[in-house]
Amino acid sequence: MVVGDVTTGTEVLVIGAGPGGYVAAIRAAQRGLDTTLVERDAYGGVCLNRGCIPSKAYITATDVAHEAATAEEMGIHADPAVDMAAMRDWKDGVVDRLTGGVEKLCKANGVDLVEGTARFTGENTVRVEHGGEGQGSETVEFERCIVSTGSRPIQLPGFDFADDPVLSSADALDLDTVPDRLVVVGAGYIGMELSTVFAKLGTDVTVVEMLSDVLPGYEDDVARVVRTKAENLGVGFNFGEGASGWRDSADGGIVVTTETEDGEESSYAADAVLVAVGRRPVTDTLDLENAGLEPNEDGFLETDDRTRTERDHIHAVGDVAGEPMLAHKASAEGIVAAEVAAGEPAALDHQAIPAAVFTDPEIATVGLTQAEAEEEGFTPAVGQMPFNASGRALTTGHTDGFVRVVADEESGFVLGGQIVGPEASELVAELALAIEMGATLSDVASTIHTHPTLAEAVMEAAENAMGEAIHTLNR
Amino acid sequence: MTIREFKLPDVGEGVAEGELVQWLVEPGDAVSEDQPVAEVETDKALVEIPSSYDGTVKELRAEEGEMVPVGDVIITFEVAEEAEEPEAAGESEAEEATEAEATESEATEAEATEAETTTPGERVFAPPSTRRLARELDVDLQSVAGSGPGGRVTDADVRAAAEAGTERRTAESPEPRSVTFGSGTPAVSRREPDEPTVSRREPDEPTVSRREAGDRTARAVERVAEERASSRAAGRERTLATPATRRVAEELDVDIDDVPTEKTREGEPFVTAAMVHDYAESQRAAAETATEVEAEVGSVSEARAAEAPAETLAPEETVEATGGESGPVPGDRVPYRGVRRSIGEHMQRSKAEIPHAVHYDGVDVTDLVRLRERLRPIAANRGVKLTYMPFVLKAVASALREHPYMNASLDEDAEEIVLHDEYNVGVATATDAGLMVPVVRDVDEKGLVEIAAELNDKVERTRERTIGREEMQGGTFTVTNVGVVGGEYASPIVNHPEVGILAMGAIEKRPTVVDDDVVARHTLPLSLAIDHRVVDGAVAAEFTNHLKSSLSTPERLLLE
Repeated sequence: MVVGDVTTGTEVLVIGAGPGGYVAAIRAAQRGLDTTLVERDAYGGVCLNRGCIPSKAYITATDVAHEAATAEEMGIHADPAVDMAAMRDWKDGVVDRLTGGVEKLCKANGVDLVEGTARFTGENTVRVEHGGEGQGSETVEFERCIVSTGSRPIQLPGFDFADDPVLSSADALDLDTVPDRLVVVGAGYIGMELSTVFAKLGTDVTVVEMLSDVLPGYEDDVARVVRTKAENLGVGFNFGEGASGWRDSADGGIVVTTETEDGEESSYAADAVLVAVGRRPVTDTLDLENAGLEPNEDGFLETDDRTRTERDHIHAVGDVAGEPMLAHKASAEGIVAAEVAAGEPAALDHQAIPAAVFTDPEIATVGLTQAEAEEEGFTPAVGQMPFNASGRALTTGHTDGFVRVVADEESGFVLGGQIVGPEASELVAELALAIEMGATLSDVASTIHTHPTLAEAVMEAAENAMGEAIHTLNR
Repeated sequence: MTIREFKLPDVGEGVAEGELVQWLVEPGDAVSEDQPVAEVETDKALVEIPSSYDGTVKELRAEEGEMVPVGDVIITFEVAEEAEEPEAAGESEAEEATEAEATESEATEAEATEAETTTPGERVFAPPSTRRLARELDVDLQSVAGSGPGGRVTDADVRAAAEAGTERRTAESPEPRSVTFGSGTPAVSRREPDEPTVSRREPDEPTVSRREAGDRTARAVERVAEERASSRAAGRERTLATPATRRVAEELDVDIDDVPTEKTREGEPFVTAAMVHDYAESQRAAAETATEVEAEVGSVSEARAAEAPAETLAPEETVEATGGESGPVPGDRVPYRGVRRSIGEHMQRSKAEIPHAVHYDGVDVTDLVRLRERLRPIAANRGVKLTYMPFVLKAVASALREHPYMNASLDEDAEEIVLHDEYNVGVATATDAGLMVPVVRDVDEKGLVEIAAELNDKVERTRERTIGREEMQGGTFTVTNVGVVGGEYASPIVNHPEVGILAMGAIEKRPTVVDDDVVARHTLPLSLAIDHRVVDGAVAAEFTNHLKSSLSTPERLLLE
């Protein structure tokens, strides 16, 4: 114990106020537990401050400009001017409002908020170092701890985020001018979302990806729709190349160099390089060894279905507890952690975690693909509805993509869905509910869907899987 | 192929051995996992032992009738390689080697079988709320058979599983699938311990002139009425159901508003596919019975015309000889075991410890007969068959309240008489295996229809031997309806540690003096046995008087 330290006690200590942590803290407080939430940076975590929310703000804003500029077919002629600084201010306003809301919610539910960085000093204690020199520290004794420290972008060797032209996803969401030329390293979902944003803002975007296609992990026919659209927007793709470094160039910009596995080098001129090659869990600030914990090889804290680590009284939720690194997964785990802390029989027993990519068009998936269903031993019944057969899709001018539903042929249970197309991120909710409830194709197909909506495509796909679709040819 | 030994599993509740009552398979039979292979009776219950393997029966290592200790190998199977090993794997390295030599076709076969019998991905289809309920009730969802469309597991399925206590059979020790009931409580009370005959249909209903000729006709007709009652159209205006359930209803040509249900969602009646199936089934059954009975009634009338009225009980409803088709025959020595012995030992203890005294009386129940006739259709509209028993139970609860020492137990060790503050009345019920006493709890707090519904359900499940043992515990008084079989008075044995037991004779018209005239009135003979250590004869008489006033003037029950 450091001289001058104050020791406080709490029943539940939550470390990290992202979508896993603040949700856990609020639920724990709702359950009557004395709860303390420690955050070293900003309430709402990466999601609200530097991830989901700001990126969606930009995506929507740039869509507005892009739509207006490309609506000649609808008889609209416009040449929108984009004020990047103003767009950023608007985005900041949205973020402030949400993070302020999180803080208020925590307080209103009786959560004690502490600003600082928490490090374990024992199995039941942490020291919280308050931000800034001379701000002091305090020791917090806890009965249960919920670790929700999240993740940070992986830094590539040769690309230091501290250098101005090297952008992390967070930096890219905080620019006040639009770069003319941008190299994006990584064609995963973050790279693809931001490539689309900048392409729509008029940036000349070049994507460099080690693997052979965009969006690894998604089915080919799903990824292809997004890749084609991105190419149409002017995004250039270079697959099989790894970024090896960058240097200043004579024209005031930079040159990004890449290398193939065979050692073939290429270089791309740009004004900035965005590195989006994945995220790594944050555990190095925690002094985990003092609590008797150790991250696994991939840097995650391993947990059971009650979100408990090897030490039963210490939970881990969200990105730090493993893939998939998704905000809604973190929140779901946070709720379970808090309820388990309150002695309830909560558990992570979801059948599926939906995921969305906010590219143009959007991708959203939930549950099993056809191949995964086969692997698990199901005989899948698969149905598809292309958006170019949807009346509503035609009226929005966005007809790329499809809805696919995967079900168990024998029982009809819906097992999964893949949607690529307009509002895919919204449409997937219905399939997620169907999967969790154990709904059958017949349940989905027999539920009346509003006309004319994109959601009808979900119903049609279910009908198609049953061989009974009206608006598509049954296969 | 490899040989697997299968040991008599621990059937729970500290049972160390069981009698192998019957083999359900023979050597050479193909069996699938979970298929029952044997019936084993312990002193707690009759259980079916399920196979843990897909394969072929190789050898039976126990004789029917043999007492087998838990853990002894009772049967061996030939199992194809790769068939999922529920038993601890790697029983011997050599075995593995043999398995490896198995032909490919066998392996493929085994995989195919497995694919058919296990759920892909171990997935259970149940909504999140149901999954949570399962955790709360500590039920393993994998072990619950879903009643929803496609086998989806519902809240009701989980609750039923929790009640039945069907824990997931673990690989190591497969538990019996249909543990039925135990008799840690008194399974008991009648005098006739070996009486095998009991009307299956309404043992709790005092019989009104049952043994008259033509009774069979009446009964047959009543059966139709019953079948109809069970298939009675609910006729609601609005019913909630999933689209898949509606489709099932359409396919079976069932109006979903007619399907009886007790479930609700958002306050609206809610129907599942299983209920639709049941209803369709019951309608078919009712139609069939109606046809059968027409034929039966015809033949009975003819028979009656031909001979004197000497029938006693309708043959198809009487004898359920112990053991069924392959049961013991005269000359056999039948082992005194299992439930029979459990009843016997309990009886012995009651009779040996308790100094019995029996009080006899009779009550004019003409008004009760009329009242019950008036209420019966109303209860039937609510889907409940109303017998006399609920009235008697209410009257008993009322009398127990007046006479707290009748609702008591003698704690000899503590030298105290425990006066109970609950009125839990057991109803002696005959089953194939012997007498069981399901308990209706808190009779004083329940209405007639509620009691009737609960009683019907419990009696039925007792007969099916699916009732939980906890539902046969905690009684504070017992009623036994001897009259349903026949007779007026009896000397029942008190159900230890209770203080009293009431035997009801048959409700029949008997000569009764009313206003100095002898007239035919419906009367109910009563026999009350008491523990004379706790109460005296005077209390028994007062208690019976209270019962009589309630039953002769049943309006009094309204005041309860």
